[in-house]
Amino acid sequence: MMQLRRAIYQVFAIAKTDFLGVIRNKTAIFFTLLFPLFFIVIIGFTFGQSGAEETSRIIVGTVNLDGGITYVNGTASQNSTIGDAFVQALKANFTVYEYGEYGDKDTNGTAAYAISRGDIDVSVVIPANFTETLSFQYTDNLGIPVPTKAHLDLYVDPSDPTGSLITQQSVLGFISGFVKYYQDTAISYFPPDFQDYLRIFADPIMVSTSEADVAGRELRWIEYMVPGTLGLVLLWSGLNHASMAIAIERTRGTFQRMVVAPVSPTSVLIGKLISSLALVYLSAVILLVSGVLLFQVNLYWNIPVIILAVFLGALSAIGIGLIISSLAKNEEAANSIAIIISVPLQFFIGAFFPLSIMPEPAQIFGEALPFTKLVNAMQNTMTKNLPFETIIPEILYLTISGLILFLLGTIVYRISLRRL
Amino acid sequence: MSVARGELFGLLGPNGAGKSTLTKMISGLINPTSGTIKVGGYNIRDDPMKAKELLGVVPQDIVLYDYMNARENLAFFGRLYGLSGRKLKNRIDDLLGFTQLDEKAVKRLVSTYSGGMKRRVNIAAALLHEPQVMLLDEPTAGLDPQNKHALWGIIQTLQKNGKTIVLTTHMMDEAEELCSRVAIMDKGRIIALGSPRKLIRKVKMENTITVVPDKISPKLMGTVKEISGVKGSYSAYDENEKTETLKVITENPDDILPDVVSAIAKDGAKILSVQLSRVTLEDVFILLTGRSLREEE
Repeated sequence: MMQLRRAIYQVFAIAKTDFLGVIRNKTAIFFTLLFPLFFIVIIGFTFGQSGAEETSRIIVGTVNLDGGITYVNGTASQNSTIGDAFVQALKANFTVYEYGEYGDKDTNGTAAYAISRGDIDVSVVIPANFTETLSFQYTDNLGIPVPTKAHLDLYVDPSDPTGSLITQQSVLGFISGFVKYYQDTAISYFPPDFQDYLRIFADPIMVSTSEADVAGRELRWIEYMVPGTLGLVLLWSGLNHASMAIAIERTRGTFQRMVVAPVSPTSVLIGKLISSLALVYLSAVILLVSGVLLFQVNLYWNIPVIILAVFLGALSAIGIGLIISSLAKNEEAANSIAIIISVPLQFFIGAFFPLSIMPEPAQIFGEALPFTKLVNAMQNTMTKNLPFETIIPEILYLTISGLILFLLGTIVYRISLRRL
Repeated sequence: MSVARGELFGLLGPNGAGKSTLTKMISGLINPTSGTIKVGGYNIRDDPMKAKELLGVVPQDIVLYDYMNARENLAFFGRLYGLSGRKLKNRIDDLLGFTQLDEKAVKRLVSTYSGGMKRRVNIAAALLHEPQVMLLDEPTAGLDPQNKHALWGIIQTLQKNGKTIVLTTHMMDEAEELCSRVAIMDKGRIIALGSPRKLIRKVKMENTITVVPDKISPKLMGTVKEISGVKGSYSAYDENEKTETLKVITENPDDILPDVVSAIAKDGAKILSVQLSRVTLEDVFILLTGRSLREEE
């Protein structure tokens, strides 16, 4: 009984001292506790207000040459009716800056210059004969209209492939809508009996795309991302802290001083586990509470499931950290190894990008990580409000991997005691 | 080797002699490859927890949490020994008196303490559970003479209070000043064991001639060794005086002193000072091993 009471004192003394070591160290506070807050603020300001369709954030630079002189059938023409209508329609959907010419990246005041500086996302160049072409003003010698297509030039920023793709899709979608309006207007000049046929020729397949209702309500992007960030918390707070836990004590000499006291290595291990878990939960609470307070994140709060899943995920993270901490020669080495492991891992757990956009080997690797299972489980629980039964496979995976990794960590820790 | 209750025992030897390894084995940090270690009758291997309860280990380096203050550090180490509540508080209060830290210093983080303050808290952390046996590993290493003498006083007080103390050191003056018995170690073996006086008498030498010339050449060292009646000689650098000294061990210093002075003069060196002194443990070590302790560092 006495020994049990002493072991409890020891465990909590070790856990408290370890915890104080973080909250009294500015660098550790930043990386363990403030970094999640910093991260959620970045995510919040980036995605916090974004809904499914937010094209007004896209900045389009227009170069409308349609009012310029163009020669139609040998005669100068300056008609800009459709070009102007096109720009007005753009303004209703996007933020539009107007330029006199496309130019080049070194000439200030041109659209090319603005793209190269990131002032606009895309440039649309409307040719001088835009109205003349679309209103069939080109004719042959007999005065019969010559079918001529109008030509728009779109320029996007190649240095931002993902952003460019989104911008390009948005502008092409807008152009498709504008073309549809033009077709309907043109078809209305034909005899009524032909109009339906012409509409089908012009637009034979109709596609309607809608967002499936997965959450029972409309969600913002940040509300999809916050559950994923819990996986990152495990890497930042769990893995990184645990990797330092034993190594830093050994470097300081305090580990040896604990071992010469009547303290069993198991008490040291449990004390470190408790402090690491406390840091993981504290980081998770900071992340979630700041999401709610700063960005009004609205999720389904199944607290027992969140606590359970984070605990099981933390076992894996702490197990890996324990292996690093026991093998590393000193705290600097442990820190370096932890960074080398945790930084790349965070891109494979589905917190930043969906795994589906990655190459197949990366997907296989990512799916094998317990942290990915935690992200999936949390997205299903907090975003989609799915019942616990649906995340049982993830919970089982987290349990097995957590136990295996923590057991491995314990074995390596025990072996490392031989080199005191 | 055994250490009696209440004894202040010295483990003496150069770096690498095996003192720290022996200390680590006694404190249970590493297992002995052969033999048995008992602390207060408990075998450290079979009954480590009981043995460790009796031990207070003061490591050579300052081993404290620098992000906590003295009280928090003492509370932590006290809890490792199962102390809690009022008993722990009383022990901490007693030991804060021992550390001579004022109220302000007690509340400051250890990282702001001077070397001497840290050293006292480092010792106090090993005293919380009132151990019967204390292991002090090079406790005065790196301290200035003033702090070193203050710490000697603390160690002597601990012994007067009934503690059994095992002190490892490579400083002969420290062992002679503090220890009732010493074990001189070399290359993992005990080569001499007994009280400093007894060890000195055992080698049947009483005197050393210490000469400080302005230079010492290898030729001079060779000449001195050849002088009849010289049992041993070596040169050593005095860190405090910043001078090279020539030490000649002999039973008859009066007889050979003129020869030593003559040899120095013939070598073209000037004599700055001459001193006759009794044989030290360092001289004993040299006679036993043929090497100077300082050569090993």
